Amino acid sequence: MENFKSKIAEILEVDSVNDTDVLTDFDNWDSLSSLSIIAMIDTDYSLNMSAEKLVSFNTVGELEQFVKANGK
Amino acid sequence: MNLTFKNKRVTGILTVVPAKEVRFEDEMGNYNFTREQSVKLQKIMGFGAHRIVDDGTCVSDLAVFGLNHLIQNGQLKKEEIDALIFVTQTPDFMMPATSFIVHGALGLRHDVYCLDINQGCAGYLVGLQQAFLLTEQANINKVVLVNADILSRKVNKRDRNSFPLIGDACSITLIEKGSGSEQPVYSTIKIDGGNSNVLTIPAGGMRLPSSAETAIEEQDEKGNIRSKDNLVMKGDAVYNFVMMEVPPMIADLHELAGKEISDTDYFLFHQPNKFMLQKLADKLKVPYAKMPFNVVEHFGNSSGVSIPTAITFNLAQELRSQEYTVCLAGFGVGLTWSSMLLKLGNLDFCEMINY
Repeated sequence: MENFKSKIAEILEVDSVNDTDVLTDFDNWDSLSSLSIIAMIDTDYSLNMSAEKLVSFNTVGELEQFVKANGK
Repeated sequence: MNLTFKNKRVTGILTVVPAKEVRFEDEMGNYNFTREQSVKLQKIMGFGAHRIVDDGTCVSDLAVFGLNHLIQNGQLKKEEIDALIFVTQTPDFMMPATSFIVHGALGLRHDVYCLDINQGCAGYLVGLQQAFLLTEQANINKVVLVNADILSRKVNKRDRNSFPLIGDACSITLIEKGSGSEQPVYSTIKIDGGNSNVLTIPAGGMRLPSSAETAIEEQDEKGNIRSKDNLVMKGDAVYNFVMMEVPPMIADLHELAGKEISDTDYFLFHQPNKFMLQKLADKLKVPYAKMPFNVVEHFGNSSGVSIPTAITFNLAQELRSQEYTVCLAGFGVGLTWSSMLLKLGNLDFCEMINY
């Protein structure tokens, strides 16, 4: 699922992201990038995630694990 | 809830927009966002220019202006109006209802059924449903449906979440009894009052009257500034709601009508922003050419009025000479989500004018 990380990186406008990166620590983390991630997860994994749920994940790795387990 | 209406015709649609146009670029400085963030927001959401009323302009001003335009052009005769429905969330007064104000301003006869409806993004559909029901009466042949909102006056200019997309507008739609040969109109409506706090204006009603205290501006955790007198929208929750409920609603509507989604010529939806409409089109596998999403970019989101705005801006000429199968959908405050599948066209008028 490297595709997942590259899409997160693209939204947050960084070259790459790692499992241990904290989502809210990115310079470009804001309401718009958060919505863009929610939309990407919905489009690519058919998972409709609330903003509250998204911020309950601390790191990129935790989010990816959940999406992988629950999405299609 | 599924609804079916027989022997109904929409015979004309006029949209009135304020002449005053404000550009997003000129407002970026009002928001707690860097220029880079604002440019990105603009690109994704499709912000361009929006139409805003001057302070002091009310929905009845737009409505009377539009109705007089139709009367002067011979497209509407006062004495033919049997019912006047006014759908708005921004009435002139708490009392009397705005339909009465319009009735008085036009000098309509006493034999007119007047009704105000407090509805938002699904208001155009609720208004059509009520207009169709009224024409079941023997004495009601022609219904004037006015849908107007001037929510810019209730949104804080430093609320980046809502102000860039808001627009003011008024639409006037004529509904008449059909000749008997019309195809039925199919419609759906659902309500989730448990989530009514997703879109609200907290103060100004009887629960929390406006006061010096409710006018105090505060900043939320995302940097948006607003007071309790202002509109507040939980944008993320609206996004989740729309993506969850609207695609199955459109599928159910077509099933109710015994049609395929691919048979429908146009999907004329409420216009929250370009981003959400593109996502909806993708989910429904509808080509972008069949689902206009350019209203926010040119006029702003005028709640329920964004549907007739999308119609008169994109299809004015076509709808005067041809007929199409169109799917309308509105979704928002309530929460309410509603849809309608009908034949629309050969209209006596379909245009847009400036106030």
